[in-house]
Amino acid sequence: MKIAYIMQKEIRESILTPKGFLWYAITSMILSVLSYLFLTNSELSLLDQGQMLYMIMNFITALGILIGLVFGADAFAGEIERGTLEALLLSPITKTEIATGKLGAALTNWGILFAISLPYLFVVGKGGQNLFVGIAYLALLGTFLAITFSAFSMGLSSRIKSVKNSLIISFFIFLLAGSPIFLSAAQRGTWFGRIIDFINPFAGAINTFDSVVIDSQGFGYQAGRVAIICGYTLLSLWFLKRSVSRLEM
Amino acid sequence: MIFLAITANYATASAADRITASIDPPIIQANMGDKITYVGTITNNSDRAVTNIIAYISLANVTQGRESPMDLEDWSANKAIKVDTIPPHGTYKGQWPMRLIDSGSYVAYITVVDKNDNTPISSTMSRLEIKRVLRLNPNNVLPVAVGEPMIIGVILTFIVIRRRKRII
Repeated sequence: MKIAYIMQKEIRESILTPKGFLWYAITSMILSVLSYLFLTNSELSLLDQGQMLYMIMNFITALGILIGLVFGADAFAGEIERGTLEALLLSPITKTEIATGKLGAALTNWGILFAISLPYLFVVGKGGQNLFVGIAYLALLGTFLAITFSAFSMGLSSRIKSVKNSLIISFFIFLLAGSPIFLSAAQRGTWFGRIIDFINPFAGAINTFDSVVIDSQGFGYQAGRVAIICGYTLLSLWFLKRSVSRLEM
Repeated sequence: MIFLAITANYATASAADRITASIDPPIIQANMGDKITYVGTITNNSDRAVTNIIAYISLANVTQGRESPMDLEDWSANKAIKVDTIPPHGTYKGQWPMRLIDSGSYVAYITVVDKNDNTPISSTMSRLEIKRVLRLNPNNVLPVAVGEPMIIGVILTFIVIRRRKRII
């Protein structure tokens, strides 16, 4: 109940505001342009449908991570800077419950993004291969990644106590996570690229999408990567719990 | 001198005559997005088996002002085929499926490389004409691409108005 209250408060303050909701309007516009170009542009429309679906899934996942990091960076440091954390800590609610409520709001945000992307995924993937299984993997891995990066960023925010510094470190983490985009296919095939792919949860997710949607491979191929992403999720939840337990004014 | 010239001429002629290559169909007219398949036939005209030869397809854009060789990776074509052996007077048929991704006039041809010869063997050219196709609303993308931002815009406007009323 207390967790639900914190979650409601966060959703009211961060999502149901003109500025918060603008994220979704921009996301929807970008997805509209992307989908329309994919299906009508003379060169892009000739991409394999699985490839189009895969690219939109990557975009949604990256956006989910980015917004999760921003949410997380503001979670505790923002309360400190606005002078509202003291009141929150004095209320009859534990620090873990506060963190859980805030994480719930970040997950709601991911849920809205996922819901916004669904019509586009259906339109782009219509008649193509592995649409439904691709969407199921996006829901599963996207949720794990949203929890991982939001929880990590929240933990960081409670330790650093500065929105600006939390954001800078979070963006740095986001760039590291996005490293597969900067490496060429040949570089990713080297031992260095393989290690980066292996330890990077975002790379794990996009490789899974590739394997499921484009190569039509079964769960047996994905199990290792899914397990690693789950491991990161548990690790970041532990980091958040530990960071919040030390939180003081 | 005459003997050397005749010998050299004979050697060149035998290299080209030993293996011949052809491509089918000789002319294709299709639309962008279509999938076509070229069939390359490699014939061993000699009395000895030919081993370990490589055959690959090339595509060149010959449209006026856009002349250039094409990167076949973009056309989803398997470029090279390794042929282990062709028996004496036997043939090998290789297939090169590809997706037509851009309009224009092209020529396609097969090249066969035998490491025992110095001269690659090319087939005759197949003419490929690709027509541009314009699609405005494939997969009913327009209702989603226009409708969803509008719905979110309406919700955003509702939130803004409610906020302003609260402030007033």
